[in-house]
Amino acid sequence: MALDGIIQLRDVSFSYAGEKDARALDHISLDIARGEFVGVLGPSGAGKSTLAAALSGAIPHHFRGQLFGAVIVDGQDTCDVTLTDVSRVVGSVNQDIDAQMVASVVEDELLFGLENFGVPHGEIESRLSAALEAVGIPELREREIATLSGGQKQKVAIAAMLALRPRVLVLDEPTAALDPASTTMVFETLRNLNEREGITVVVIEQKVATLSKYCGRILVLDQGSLAFDGTPREVFSHGAELRAMGVDSPRVARVSNSLAQHGLTAPGEPCLTVAEAKRLVANLVGSKAGTLPRHERNPLPARPSRPRAAQGEPVVSFRDVSFTYPSTGAAVRDLTFEVYPGEIVGVIGQNGAGKTTLTKLLNGILHPDSGEVRVAGLDTRETPTSRLAAHVSTLFQNPDRQICKDTVLNEVAFGLELTGVGGREARRRASAVIERFGLPADEAPFSLSRGQRQMVALASVVVMEPDVVLLDEPTSGLDYRECMTVMETVAEMAARGCAVVMVCHDMEVVSDFAERLAVMAHGEIVGRGSAAEVFSDAALMAQAGVEPPQIVALSDALADSVSPAFAGISQVSGIVDLVKEAVGRE
Amino acid sequence: MNSIIDYVPGDTLLHRLNPVTKLALAAAIIVATFLADSYAALLGLLALTFALAAYAGVAGRLARLLKVLVPLGVVMLLLQLVFVRGGEVVWGFVTTEGLVSGSKVCLRLLGVALPLILALSATKLTDLANACVEVLHVPYRYAFTFTTALRFVPVFSQEMSAIMEAQAARGVEYDTRNPFRKLQLMLPLCVPLLVSSVGRTDAIALAAEQRGFYLRTRESSFKRYPLATADFAVLACCAVLIALGTVA
Repeated sequence: MALDGIIQLRDVSFSYAGEKDARALDHISLDIARGEFVGVLGPSGAGKSTLAAALSGAIPHHFRGQLFGAVIVDGQDTCDVTLTDVSRVVGSVNQDIDAQMVASVVEDELLFGLENFGVPHGEIESRLSAALEAVGIPELREREIATLSGGQKQKVAIAAMLALRPRVLVLDEPTAALDPASTTMVFETLRNLNEREGITVVVIEQKVATLSKYCGRILVLDQGSLAFDGTPREVFSHGAELRAMGVDSPRVARVSNSLAQHGLTAPGEPCLTVAEAKRLVANLVGSKAGTLPRHERNPLPARPSRPRAAQGEPVVSFRDVSFTYPSTGAAVRDLTFEVYPGEIVGVIGQNGAGKTTLTKLLNGILHPDSGEVRVAGLDTRETPTSRLAAHVSTLFQNPDRQICKDTVLNEVAFGLELTGVGGREARRRASAVIERFGLPADEAPFSLSRGQRQMVALASVVVMEPDVVLLDEPTSGLDYRECMTVMETVAEMAARGCAVVMVCHDMEVVSDFAERLAVMAHGEIVGRGSAAEVFSDAALMAQAGVEPPQIVALSDALADSVSPAFAGISQVSGIVDLVKEAVGRE
Repeated sequence: MNSIIDYVPGDTLLHRLNPVTKLALAAAIIVATFLADSYAALLGLLALTFALAAYAGVAGRLARLLKVLVPLGVVMLLLQLVFVRGGEVVWGFVTTEGLVSGSKVCLRLLGVALPLILALSATKLTDLANACVEVLHVPYRYAFTFTTALRFVPVFSQEMSAIMEAQAARGVEYDTRNPFRKLQLMLPLCVPLLVSSVGRTDAIALAAEQRGFYLRTRESSFKRYPLATADFAVLACCAVLIALGTVA
């Protein structure tokens, strides 16, 4: 056992009280050395949060259950010391930002821990300002926490931990609720702390591209046990196995893995950055680049053709729509766009750009101050929201806000009953959808896992057979497999002629599923076009604060330097096919 | 900045007073409001509250609160008119005694609610908790529970409106004109709200414990809250207020 291991797990198993048979952690042994930056991946229910709770002492001190083996933090078994003692070494930050704040002003939030741990009062001021400096928010010191953005709040939470000078930081999906820019901000902060202060960082995260960029080591959990443990290159070289357990790989790693699978490169360590992948492809294609024809096709595999009728009537139309929140003054201006039956339109942009306001204008929760919103021919200002609901169905980011019934069956049937479908008919249709989704009809929705609750919410949308489906961050909090199930269901609905509008931070999902994009910044639509066009427009991306997906960045880079044939490719398979074609040419 | 109990920053004497003094001042006005029985005294106490609020720059806040309190006051007035009978009949079921007692109940309602909001608007919750622990020797866990509960009022009200929006989008008729129907529709929402609040409470308890909640003593607070001359002066005024309330 390494001597400098600040955290050691020796054959740790844990099952929550009341779930004796299911082990949340199953015989896990691992060592984390001082100064490591460790990422933890895994599908939902794999035990990631349980692992975080074990590292931070919340298991065994807060959550009840059976713990076997030993968790040693800084030389002490967490069972032998109190939770507070573990906390002196390990600081933890959670996903629910609001639930970890204990004060209403930033300064007081940091003081709380410092005061409690009895830091000498002469030292408090310097620690407080150093912690705020370290995460780059000294100017927020006097601010009310309620007025901060999600990214800023998460930084406050990290600063509050830092002030206590922990030697380890354990973060459980710290960026789940954040947009890409804030996610980068949080990870840059963590990297600084790790490099400058030598703080060991353990971070649970779903965003694989981010993890591979920042972590030196990645752990993959599956069904409570450790499936992989190694550098990002080692872990992502097992792309196929990861995919089978429901874990995504960075898209560039998929490209190099796929090239290796086709025998075009030697199997081995995958690429992790766009630059590496570009070099790899450039070397492979080499001198044959000039011979490649410029393809007009835009390969979109596994996508059924849609009855898209551009000449038909739009099902959603916004004309010069403006709206201002009376309380805060935040506004959207001059929104004009149309959505036709059968198409999937993505709305992208930073937090606060007005995306959610747009969705609320669409489903009639908000009415425009000026301009006109028409959905399925109805003016939202003249139609009650409850009647619009028969035409527009919304899948919210947080399923817990829409679930209110005692069984899954009642929950799914509820929306139909509200729109006047008779009880028996509603239940019959609900049962059919529930069966298709493989959900337990008689269980209480709140006893299901987060991913399954999202599926219940999705089933309640599907059963409505609406004209328009509105998705507000449909994939946040879901693992890769759940995310694909949700999106494929939505794509099926689109194929049957339903119009889909989705607001999404995950650019990979957007580029895989959306055909047209609207880019929002500062309450206005600043750009629109096909997904490929929009993502290739560097100036527009910068204005919206959005990073294009890796494959688009890669194909743009290749189009610039290798062959224009790569322009506009947005799928892994597209790049691989083209390379195959080039290498095959004599 | 949405909630009526948020702190409004400022540097007036009212802001600088010890939080405990502010609480005492609010309590004194409330006690005096209960004791006083003349219109002059009740209106005077209300005027005092508004004068202090104007001085502290939170008068707008109280005015906003009036929008909620006045309809409530009218309901109370009507109830009093129906149940308190006596004196001469003015019109229909309205009697002079009913009018007098009803209007006073109405004024008292305002006189009780507003001073508290005034005190909370001019005090940071953390300061209030720490000062209560230091000056009044209130155990920290109670002070923490109280301030956390207050802090969560706006969080829960946001959660509630998010839930209502989600339900409205599903087709629940919150736009109905029938208040009983609306109430009936809102009841099921208690389930999601309760689920999320129980989860939150548990998470807060864990977060607080991980940051040394149980190590905290009366001496822990970095900021100190000694009573200054101004505090004693205000406390003396409080006593006078209550005394005036008994005679007025």
